[in-house]
Amino acid sequence: MKSLKVVGSLIKDSLAEITHGSRAYHIWMAILTFVMLFGMYNYGIQLEQGLSATGMTDRVSWGLYISNFTFLVGVAAAAVMLVLPAYVLKNIDFKQAVLIGEGLAVAALLMCLAFVVADMGGPARLWHMIPVIGVFNFPNSMLTWDVLVLNGYLFINITVPLYILIMRYQGKTPNPKIYIPGVFISVFWAVAIHMITAFLYQGLQARPFWNNALLGPRFLASAFAAGPALIILVLAVIRKFTEFKVPDNTIKKISLIVTVAAQINLIMLISELFKEFYAPTHHSISAVYLFFGIEGKVALLPWIWTSITMNVIATTVLTFHKLRSNFKILYVACGMLFVAIWIEKGFGLIVPGFIPGPWGKIAEYTPTFVEISVTIGIWAMGAFIFTILAKTGIAIELGKIVYKKK
Amino acid sequence: MKYLKIAIIKKVMLGTLICLFVISCKHTEEKYHNVMEKIEGESVKYKAPSVSSPMINAEIKTVLVEEGETAFLIPERKSQISSYNCVECHTEPLSVLMQKQVDKKAAHWDIKLNHANSEIMNCATCHTSNDMGNLHSLTSTTIDFNYSHKLCSQCHQKEFKDWKGGAHGKQLGGWSPPRLSNTCVNCHNPHAPQFEKRWPVRFNTEKVKERQ
Amino acid sequence: MSNNTKKWFSLNLNRTKKSEACGCGNNASSCEEKTPKDGYNQVMDVSMSRRSAFKKLTAGLLIGAGAVSTSCSVISGDESKEKSAIEWDEYFKGNYKLMTDKEKNETVNRLVRSYELRTGKKINLSSKDAEEDVLFGYAFNISKCQGYMDCVNACIEENNQDRASQMQYIRIHEMEDGKGFNFEESDDNYYHEVPAEGHFYMGTQCFHCDNPPCVEVCPVQATWKEKDGIVVIDYDWCVGCRYCMAACPYDGRRFNWKTPEVPEEEVNKNQHYLGNRLRKKGVMEKCTFCIQRSRKGQNPACVEACPTGARTFGNLLDPDSTIRWVLENKKVFRLKEDLGTEPKFWYYMD
Repeated sequence: MKSLKVVGSLIKDSLAEITHGSRAYHIWMAILTFVMLFGMYNYGIQLEQGLSATGMTDRVSWGLYISNFTFLVGVAAAAVMLVLPAYVLKNIDFKQAVLIGEGLAVAALLMCLAFVVADMGGPARLWHMIPVIGVFNFPNSMLTWDVLVLNGYLFINITVPLYILIMRYQGKTPNPKIYIPGVFISVFWAVAIHMITAFLYQGLQARPFWNNALLGPRFLASAFAAGPALIILVLAVIRKFTEFKVPDNTIKKISLIVTVAAQINLIMLISELFKEFYAPTHHSISAVYLFFGIEGKVALLPWIWTSITMNVIATTVLTFHKLRSNFKILYVACGMLFVAIWIEKGFGLIVPGFIPGPWGKIAEYTPTFVEISVTIGIWAMGAFIFTILAKTGIAIELGKIVYKKK
Repeated sequence: MKYLKIAIIKKVMLGTLICLFVISCKHTEEKYHNVMEKIEGESVKYKAPSVSSPMINAEIKTVLVEEGETAFLIPERKSQISSYNCVECHTEPLSVLMQKQVDKKAAHWDIKLNHANSEIMNCATCHTSNDMGNLHSLTSTTIDFNYSHKLCSQCHQKEFKDWKGGAHGKQLGGWSPPRLSNTCVNCHNPHAPQFEKRWPVRFNTEKVKERQ
Repeated sequence: MSNNTKKWFSLNLNRTKKSEACGCGNNASSCEEKTPKDGYNQVMDVSMSRRSAFKKLTAGLLIGAGAVSTSCSVISGDESKEKSAIEWDEYFKGNYKLMTDKEKNETVNRLVRSYELRTGKKINLSSKDAEEDVLFGYAFNISKCQGYMDCVNACIEENNQDRASQMQYIRIHEMEDGKGFNFEESDDNYYHEVPAEGHFYMGTQCFHCDNPPCVEVCPVQATWKEKDGIVVIDYDWCVGCRYCMAACPYDGRRFNWKTPEVPEEEVNKNQHYLGNRLRKKGVMEKCTFCIQRSRKGQNPACVEACPTGARTFGNLLDPDSTIRWVLENKKVFRLKEDLGTEPKFWYYMD
């Protein structure tokens, strides 16, 4: 009974917290709400017309939605990898970052699920996928694995921080014996969601561009670059706009993770490029399309070269200790890295997998307005959720909202 | 103490991973490695299924072809030839008919022989003025119009073999027994056996749009 | 409250039942007829009760939301009530693969009735199962195909494919002599007199692999290989994730990006549940070797339409079948054999 009361009071307090804030906060939330509503309106159009409202065709049958899904799985996984040093290695520096990281993971996961639902041809029939009620093709289909690990990960990432926050809220110290196992599982799980999402593509012998043993490791490397890069940016914003103290050292430590991951990612990229272009086979056509275009079909060229340029510049900048220590440069580099990886691991990975088609036909993919609006709407939803989570979390951490025994 | 716990957690994780790998072995009830093996294995105990070709009905009159071990049906031909029976006109020898042609409308005017070259084949290769109602072979054996494949097979041995087996020629009826196949002249005009050039019946404008 | 004799929860909105109380959704489950359970039903009930529970829960939610109000309203006609009752039952039916014969019959009857209510016309919808000792296979003679595309047209008409998007299961690739099977440079949408000089033609469609990657990846088992080797889709169970499409190395699958359009007078009324019945938007479809024909002993429409006899279809298990003769006597090959998908679609030359 008591714990129920605590939760009820927490919800009440956090509702009060998230509805109050500075003018900038209100404007920010209003914009997000508007974008979300616009996205929902467009999703309504898509529901009405079917997926023909998107730019996808029988040739390129996965597009912007699945691209973003793939990328966000990485963000979700990487955020939690920060947990390990913070809680186990007693590295106090990370603690604030971890809370933000887990909030980010939850937001990213919800976005993942939203993207998957947006991509479905029959979202009303999704109950067919619920185990027991429907038919769950486990363990044959990697998609069912993905459903399991994503939802499991979501569960862990909600319960662990919730436990910690509730304890803090009551002014108690969280018991490590309770949350450390959860933290451990979530770290292993983070690797699992990543590898399994990679296996989703890697396991398709029909698509040589994906059917590549490096895909899983590359997913991990790029995720550990993009995820923490995003965390650095978020921490920078939080430092600026709230009283939450994030020591310089934390950001520096995270930037080290970003640097190493970005370097490994670049090495893997070089390895892939070498294989595709030093000894090109029949299966290299997708890569040729991606990097050079085929027969005047060059839709992805500006994107991928932007991505590679930004990736190389950002990684180079991060590699130099002096440059990395300058926070302004660091933020720019992190921003570049994030965008670069979003392009490369988003539609830079998904779309070329379908081009050329199984019989060598090249049909390009251009997302439609509806598709882009829904995508932006889902991103706004993620930002909205994260803002709420972060605001409440920070308030509790700062001791602004405390459980009052009545 | 704490590290011990971590070790235990690690072991549990490892155990779950191993369990996952074990159950994740692909579940296939197939006992054959490939489809050819399957065909071989499954057809050992083959019993003819109860379905039978539904198209074999009164609409198509058929005759039976028996060639060695294979036996199958082909459409009956004579009733399909518009000017059969030949002897209705060919009451007199050909030479007499040719002389009369001056005042009578020419018969078979639309037939242009385009089958091999004229050194090898002419009308008399298959038809004989002695017996207009039948075909005749190179050795002057009588061949019934219903069994014209015998005539064709004199030269086209390879096609004949494929046809008997089922690799050449179209199957009428269905896949299920009894087998009913087109005979040579159902697809090929014996006087001009080549298929004609024509336009495809379909052009997909959506595909063009898609690939712009 | 419920006696669980029915596997599918039904609202019984207007199917004239004994008591007046059965009119609306709230107490519908108590209105079901009581029949004694036989052993079979008892066993089946255990596995299905969860779904019916889910169904009831949803029903409750919907009633709460007033969504059922239309089907309960006094003014709406009997037909619209029946329509919504059918839609309701159809939405909550199970996967066809796991249905009993009785359930198959019920859904077939519902679909026939639903079509009748919509158009006033009857369709002949079959749910015929695979025959014993049948394994379908297909052979394509590259030397014979002239590229007329008669098969493509026949397929579209037979299988009620979407006319608006010009969906076609079959592709005929025009290839240049001397370049091998070069699909990259081939043209599958030619429009000139055929056969073109120096070219040959090769048709592709769903190859009904014996080790189908599409079946493996489907998260809900909406697609599977039947006993006679035909890879089928339950259009009502598919959730439209298109994973199977990404997994198919042969471009055998098609997706309904919008509601398919087939003019009523062109609808082929001879249908099979797993075959050419009308699809809805957001589901996969593909060649089924014309299951509505082949299960009856007929050849698929493409085989029947081919004027050159380039297409051979038959029972791979029958040692006397023509397809077996082709496999045993011609030099046959399959496409992308290295992928291990074991297609049951062979090519050969004279």
